Amino acid sequence: MIIARKEKVKVQVSKSFNNLLVLDRLDFTVYENEFLVIVGPTGCGKTTLSNIIGGIHQPTQGQVTMDGAILSPRKQNVSFVFQEPSCIPWRTLWDDVKIGLEIKRADPGLIEKRVQEMIDLVQLTGFEKYYPHQISGGMKQRVAIARAYATDPDLLLLDEPFGHLDAQTRYLMQIEITRIWEQLKKTVLFVTNNIEEAVFLAERIIVLSRLPARIKGIVPVDLPRPRDNISPEFLQIRSQISQMCETAE
Amino acid sequence: MARSSNYRNSLIAVAYNAGSLAIALVCWEIFSATMKSPYFPSFREIFAAFVQLSIEGDIEGIGLGQHIWASLVRIFAGFGAACAMAIPLGLLMGLYPKIYTRTRAIIEPVRFIPPIAWIPLAIVLLIGFQRYAFLIWLGAFFPIFINTLVSVPRVNQIHLNVTRIYGATHWYMIRKIVIPSVLPDIAAGMRIGLGIAWMCIVAAEMIGGEMVGVGRLILKYAELIRMQEIIVGMLIIGVIGFIMNEIFLYVEKRLFKWRWEVSLD
Repeated sequence: MIIARKEKVKVQVSKSFNNLLVLDRLDFTVYENEFLVIVGPTGCGKTTLSNIIGGIHQPTQGQVTMDGAILSPRKQNVSFVFQEPSCIPWRTLWDDVKIGLEIKRADPGLIEKRVQEMIDLVQLTGFEKYYPHQISGGMKQRVAIARAYATDPDLLLLDEPFGHLDAQTRYLMQIEITRIWEQLKKTVLFVTNNIEEAVFLAERIIVLSRLPARIKGIVPVDLPRPRDNISPEFLQIRSQISQMCETAE
Repeated sequence: MARSSNYRNSLIAVAYNAGSLAIALVCWEIFSATMKSPYFPSFREIFAAFVQLSIEGDIEGIGLGQHIWASLVRIFAGFGAACAMAIPLGLLMGLYPKIYTRTRAIIEPVRFIPPIAWIPLAIVLLIGFQRYAFLIWLGAFFPIFINTLVSVPRVNQIHLNVTRIYGATHWYMIRKIVIPSVLPDIAAGMRIGLGIAWMCIVAAEMIGGEMVGVGRLILKYAELIRMQEIIVGMLIIGVIGFIMNEIFLYVEKRLFKWRWEVSLD
């Protein structure tokens, strides 16, 4: 099934900071409308990888291409949900969700319509005029998701977006992001250090090693949604990935 | 609930301030009464001097209002010029640190020269109103400039990345992220600068040549060794500076609510 899909993003990169090799010849493809999860231990260079794919940093070697062209935020339509709280403190929720469309100089009528749709989608209706300091951490991350989806991106990068949330909110957000993805079907690259989260969300999981990050394996997850995180199949995939992480190189 | 307790807290603060002010005045009164010296006039004498200066004016018949107005105009001219130069320059050097690191040898030593030390040069180079404005500008410029300069690198990188990922131009990031981020620091620098501007007023009016201005008023009565009028002048500078500072703080709190209020989590 996956083989028949169109290749959307091709990543072939290495990155080192001074003499420290962080990403060691990572080479993988993201297919169109796929939900791909990259899982790896803390400090293995996952954020570096997502920053390179998003065009915020440059790779030391190699390149990232989307639809055959080198990926660049000025030319292509990419969105990013950051690990850290990223709401702009002096903007209301409405103005925050708008920011990508504002930069891309979308038509004001379209902005109006699209922003409201996105706020409704992440269930923040009624909070449009609130400022980030007036809402909870989970709501802030929803704003970031709404902002990311607002530009209708060709690639959506999520870098440990729920890392700062408590377990309960995190679980609800996982359900939420699955719902949104099923509704809008975008190409999603989701980075996490949480194996359970990876199995819950992914169509395909790429497992990274410790520093310098190498690909340890790629695991397809062909379970029906919404996924049951205590079903035998779920636990089986989960332990398969855990074992992969434990084995020495 | 929260609102009414805030209100109560500020009432309590006002009451305590009134109390401590009263204690300070009583102390001065006792001090002045025991010294029995014309150098330490009682509060009653100071107040009498204030009334006389307000109604009849000083030895040259210039009223207190005129003195205050003249000083205010000079302060705002010097302070305005300082803002107009320090903010763009601070932003520019904050955004392009190389400009600063390569001109530090000029900027930094100048910063430590006290405005009073510039008086002889100001007398030689400038005339009239320019002299006042120049000295006040000197005092106000550096706090505003330095505050702006150091706040630019502290802009949250995540906020910049939020716009970068959508392909924002440099100019967009400066306008929509950098400037709003540093505005509270600029305002704090302006508030400090305004305070220092008031501190320079006596020095400025020493060389301005005109007989009007609160600083000039103090100098006039210093020659006559008339303490009560001198103290009136001192208190006027203090009180006006205090009021301006309070207004500034109030505006800052309103404008930058997002920075002051505690987040929910």
